Amino acid sequence: MDLAQVLPLLLGLAWLTPLASFAAIVFFGPRMGHAGKGAGYVAIGAIAASAVLSILALIAWLIAHPLGGGHDAAHPVAAIAGEWYPLAVAGELKIAIGYYIDGLTVAMFAMVTVVALCIHVYSLGYMHEELHEVTDPLVTLANGQTLKRRGRFHRFFQYLSLFCFSMLGLVIAGNVAMVFVFWELVGICSYLLIGFYIERKSASNAANKAFIVNRVGDFGMIVGLMALWSGLGTFSFDEIFQQVRPAGHGPAAHGHALTVPDGMVRFAAREEIAAIYQGTPDARQAEHAIREQLPGWRAEGLGYGLLVVAGLGIFCGCVGKSAQFPLHVWLPDAMEGPTPVSALIHAATMVAAGVYLVGRFYPVFTPEVLLVIAVVGCITLFIAATIALTATDIKRVLAYSTVSQLGYMMLALGVGGWVAGLFHLFTHAFFKALLFLCSGSVIHATGTNEMPRMGGLLRKMPWTAGTMLVGCLAIAGAGIPLVIGLSGYYSKDGILAQLYSFAGQNPSYAWLFYVAAGGAALTAFYMFRLWFMTFLGSPRDEHVYAHAHESPRVMVVPLVILAVFAVIAGWNVPGTELGLQPLLEQARPLGTAEGASQGLFLPTLTLPAEHLSHAHEIHVPVTLLAFSVAVAGFLLAAVIYWWRLLDADVISRMFWPVHDFLRNKWWFDELYQFLFVRPVLAGARLAAGIDRVVIDGLAHALAGAVRLFSRFDDWIDRLFVDGAVNATANVTYEAGLRLREIQTGAIRQYVMWVAAGTVGLFVLAMFLWSYTLAGP
Amino acid sequence: MPHVVLSLIVFLPAAGALAIAFTSKDREDFIKLFSLLITIAVFLLTAWLAIPSTGRGEPSTFVVGQSAMQQVFRIPWIPAFDIYYAMGIDGISFPLVLLTSFLSMLAMAASWNIAKHVKGYCILFLLLETGMLGVFMALDFFLFYVFWEVMLLPMYFLIGVWGGPRREYAAIKFFLFTLVGSVLMLVAMLALYFSSDLSKLTPSQQTAARLQPEELRAIAAARSSSTPRPVHTFNMLALAEMGQMKQSPFDTPLLWGKSVQWWAFVLLLIGFIIKVPSVPVHTWLPDAHVEAPTPISMLLAGVLLKMGGYGIIRFCYPMCPDAAYDLAWLVCALGVVSMVYGALAAMAQKDFKRLVAYSSVSHMGYVLLGMGVWTATAGNAFVSDYWKMGMNGAMFQMIAHGLSSAGMFFMVGVLYDRVHHRDLDNFGGMFARMPLYSGLAVGIFFAALGLPGLCGFIGEVLVVLSVWNYDIALAVVSASVVILTAGYILWTIQRVYLGPEYKGPHPEALTPITRREVAVAAPLLAFAILFGVYPQAVFRYMSPSVDRTVSQLARWTKEVKAPRLAGTDALPAPVAIAGPIEPSASALPVAPSASK
Repeated sequence: MDLAQVLPLLLGLAWLTPLASFAAIVFFGPRMGHAGKGAGYVAIGAIAASAVLSILALIAWLIAHPLGGGHDAAHPVAAIAGEWYPLAVAGELKIAIGYYIDGLTVAMFAMVTVVALCIHVYSLGYMHEELHEVTDPLVTLANGQTLKRRGRFHRFFQYLSLFCFSMLGLVIAGNVAMVFVFWELVGICSYLLIGFYIERKSASNAANKAFIVNRVGDFGMIVGLMALWSGLGTFSFDEIFQQVRPAGHGPAAHGHALTVPDGMVRFAAREEIAAIYQGTPDARQAEHAIREQLPGWRAEGLGYGLLVVAGLGIFCGCVGKSAQFPLHVWLPDAMEGPTPVSALIHAATMVAAGVYLVGRFYPVFTPEVLLVIAVVGCITLFIAATIALTATDIKRVLAYSTVSQLGYMMLALGVGGWVAGLFHLFTHAFFKALLFLCSGSVIHATGTNEMPRMGGLLRKMPWTAGTMLVGCLAIAGAGIPLVIGLSGYYSKDGILAQLYSFAGQNPSYAWLFYVAAGGAALTAFYMFRLWFMTFLGSPRDEHVYAHAHESPRVMVVPLVILAVFAVIAGWNVPGTELGLQPLLEQARPLGTAEGASQGLFLPTLTLPAEHLSHAHEIHVPVTLLAFSVAVAGFLLAAVIYWWRLLDADVISRMFWPVHDFLRNKWWFDELYQFLFVRPVLAGARLAAGIDRVVIDGLAHALAGAVRLFSRFDDWIDRLFVDGAVNATANVTYEAGLRLREIQTGAIRQYVMWVAAGTVGLFVLAMFLWSYTLAGP
Repeated sequence: MPHVVLSLIVFLPAAGALAIAFTSKDREDFIKLFSLLITIAVFLLTAWLAIPSTGRGEPSTFVVGQSAMQQVFRIPWIPAFDIYYAMGIDGISFPLVLLTSFLSMLAMAASWNIAKHVKGYCILFLLLETGMLGVFMALDFFLFYVFWEVMLLPMYFLIGVWGGPRREYAAIKFFLFTLVGSVLMLVAMLALYFSSDLSKLTPSQQTAARLQPEELRAIAAARSSSTPRPVHTFNMLALAEMGQMKQSPFDTPLLWGKSVQWWAFVLLLIGFIIKVPSVPVHTWLPDAHVEAPTPISMLLAGVLLKMGGYGIIRFCYPMCPDAAYDLAWLVCALGVVSMVYGALAAMAQKDFKRLVAYSSVSHMGYVLLGMGVWTATAGNAFVSDYWKMGMNGAMFQMIAHGLSSAGMFFMVGVLYDRVHHRDLDNFGGMFARMPLYSGLAVGIFFAALGLPGLCGFIGEVLVVLSVWNYDIALAVVSASVVILTAGYILWTIQRVYLGPEYKGPHPEALTPITRREVAVAAPLLAFAILFGVYPQAVFRYMSPSVDRTVSQLARWTKEVKAPRLAGTDALPAPVAIAGPIEPSASALPVAPSASK
């Protein structure tokens, strides 16, 4: 069968299976086995099926497109793009549900499903408390008792399944709009799972914060989408890349240089086009004139700004999702969720989606945007690493570490290291999931997140300690320099090498390299600080220590599997070129292999081609440097927390301003509260107030005025109109009264009046007769 | 026999109301059941109409894909004033008709807790349904106006008699605001009527407007007469044709240098944005909602607000395109301001129902914005695709908001029925006490939040994406509303549904949701999901007509407006008035987008 039919089918099924599991648990969850225990098995079955399908897809892909021989730019591996059904159509415009499958998609599917499977299995053990009634010691009711509630085992797996569906949808998405759809859905899953302990105020606050901060990023993303949409009229990756990277265009060896698409030029030249249309009534002639002008407009730089806005906007979304500075504040709080959630969503997959999207959207980014990405990544990795130095909550250390590592990925992508950045995404997914699950195992055993209450747990939980040590070594980039190493060794070296190469070309941005190298030392320091504080030394809290125990097998086995991946994920199958790095090399988007063309606003910036960083004179010194800074970090941690040659408390007191600053996380939360939250709430109250006072006040005033006028009208009525009528009536009445006096009832008097009247009339008649009729 | 089917749909509820009038008022259960059956019958009739017609012979049901008006009939009603009993449906009105009959059915089912004057309630409810359906189906401006008023009075009484403690204030406020709107509409209607002239129409336009033989005779008589006398009409199709003519009879100057259609547009727009409602004429809405009983809130938010949007797309734009082009920025600005302002005001509310009411203001802002984005300008080579998208998005948003807002009001009502308060700070812990209810409610709130996979997302995203081509600043502001919306909805969910325990009075009354309540809420959520996942289910019916409206206006922009703006074509000489002509093309205000 044709690969173009098989892969969409396989991956489509792998994508929809978790949705089926979600639907099943929604309707039948509580009735699945005892207390919904069956829901766990349903979800695990679904994700296992997804994993099998994804691995089949990976195998099919590798058979059809064997690795090795390097990346042949003349014969690139084409992506499989297509459409399942349209969401909305307007004229030529269309938004659809579709797929875009290349090496990156296939690799992401395999990674996400495998990591998710491990975490699902682990959760079976970790969440077992939810199978019966739960006492939540963190929630105190109004009557002073702690909360007792029903378990929510099935609910947890229901959300996990929904998350897996959403995450896989994000990866398979064939267009940016569909990415956005699933972007939001993973966001809501994250919201639901961070707030899984809905009774805890801190959890629901953290969930709200995560979603709303992400929405700030999404706001930027929507702006980017708008710029893209109005310029290109399409969201499909396939069509966007064709427009932005037309074949045979530009100075690069094989064409596919970044080009401002016609649509964007036209958008920027609307004034000129309007003038042409006004001068030329015939549409065909006008279009002809416009087409002649287009190259000139493009040369003037029209539309380039739109391309920059599109790139920056999309990156904004990635900043939110991948918790980059300045939107990194939500991720540490997200640790309120159960630990498997932190491992799956907030370490391995969802937060990496931002990096994934930057990688996917790479062909559209101009050099200016890439520089912004690099700088943001660099700032993030530094800030997060420094905060991780002083954090004492085991999960928060890992959370800041995640933020920092995501910063590394962004930095690598920003300086042209496409493979390096995405390679780190994969290796990080394995070892960070491992680290989180290990921390979960520790929390499960000790019932606390605080490292100062742990210590000496190595004897109690050797498996956890061992696998976590593997994770720490992997993230620190341990290995025998230039020979072999754990997965992190390869990916971090790749990043630093590309940075070194970049710094060589652009000396004014050399600081990016130094910060990243320094960050490697910090990474080693905070990771081993964590490990030493947790597992070595004497127990600091006897009570905690006494209750600690190794986790059940259902939790340990996933740890071991992930530890194996953390070791080998960077390796190629011996004797071949079958490995993650060659696969990514093959998936590199068109036109990005040769470095970037010069930007309009930053003509001096040069992005070196990535293969240059594999050169011996770059590779060797960087590897040695990376190794030595990591060792330095490790040694410092050992001196303070293992051998105790220095006292941590004394140091923190000595540098108290720095310590305070870091303990308070650089005061970001307080700053944002002051800068954004309070003004918005004030604006909200203002709007409500305007409604009540101004608008309704106006309406009431109007009503009052009408009432006043009606009263005035009433008064006029009564005084003049009624007055006139009444006056007439009164006069008549008065006359009647007077006249009544003559009505005496005496017949003789009446007869006299009749006689007098008759005589009077007669006299009158005579008088008139003689004067008028008889005439003179 | 369209006149039978459509008349049956519109007047079945009224006939039901008449039947109830002859029923003893003590048979309350029977009356409720009977009313419910009537609303179900109306819904089934409209649902039957929605079954796509096979296309053989005279279509008896809706023809999917046909953009022009269907099932049209015109029967003389008051010949002295050229008033017809004329109705018909197209892709713009039919989805709203379906929405109306669907929500009326659910709202009647939600009325079971009404205990006061059941007979009167049911009569007014059914009359209201007749009015609402008639508004969407009428093809004669006068008939439209009559239905508009028919709908107004029952609403006034339903709020004023069955409402909460401040019901009289709310009812009068609602009535006065709407009445101002309808008076302005009346003036605009008469202005258009007295400017209209059927004899200007070409034969093809006459066919399109479905003129009747007696009208054709009148035209012939007018043309042959030595003193040309205009043939007036209330025919909405004909008015639209006239509005888009090169020499439109509505271009006659009326007052202060503005033409008839400029004034008609402004008056109609004010009338309709009161109904939408848009800032700054929205303050009747929170009060009306807070005081109205739950089912009436559902209809008010679900259907009545849509009449404003419907009026704009049916009257303002096709009949007064010149004014609409010049004032497109106003429509868009009103939309964006409503979106931001409504969301901010919602955030500050303490009353659950008020919050939902303000969310309606915000969500209906999208409707105005999507309709207003007139991107078919010279700079865009008169390509109307983005505007089509915005207009489709606006229409979809009306359907989506109809489902989500009705759902939200019902969900608030379920709580209010139990604990008799709406203070947001005195809830909490509903997930533990009423899990099924909370699940449904959160689903519906997420639909309002614009979460993908639910109906709110499609409308919002289509509208927002279409704005950039019209104006970048408006686009950026409109995009920022996603943050505010997330803010107030999530905060509400947190205060009501999350948390350890219920904090307010009457905790013992928080019984699980009943089967009847599920039967109201579940269909709303089900359709919210269906339309979110497969919006083509709506667009198949809707898009052809919406696209046609936009295409016509785009063509009008290209052929009529652009030459006027370029100054190559002066405004047509007023027909009836002799003497010097005041306004020239250069005196007309130019929309900002066109000046770029």
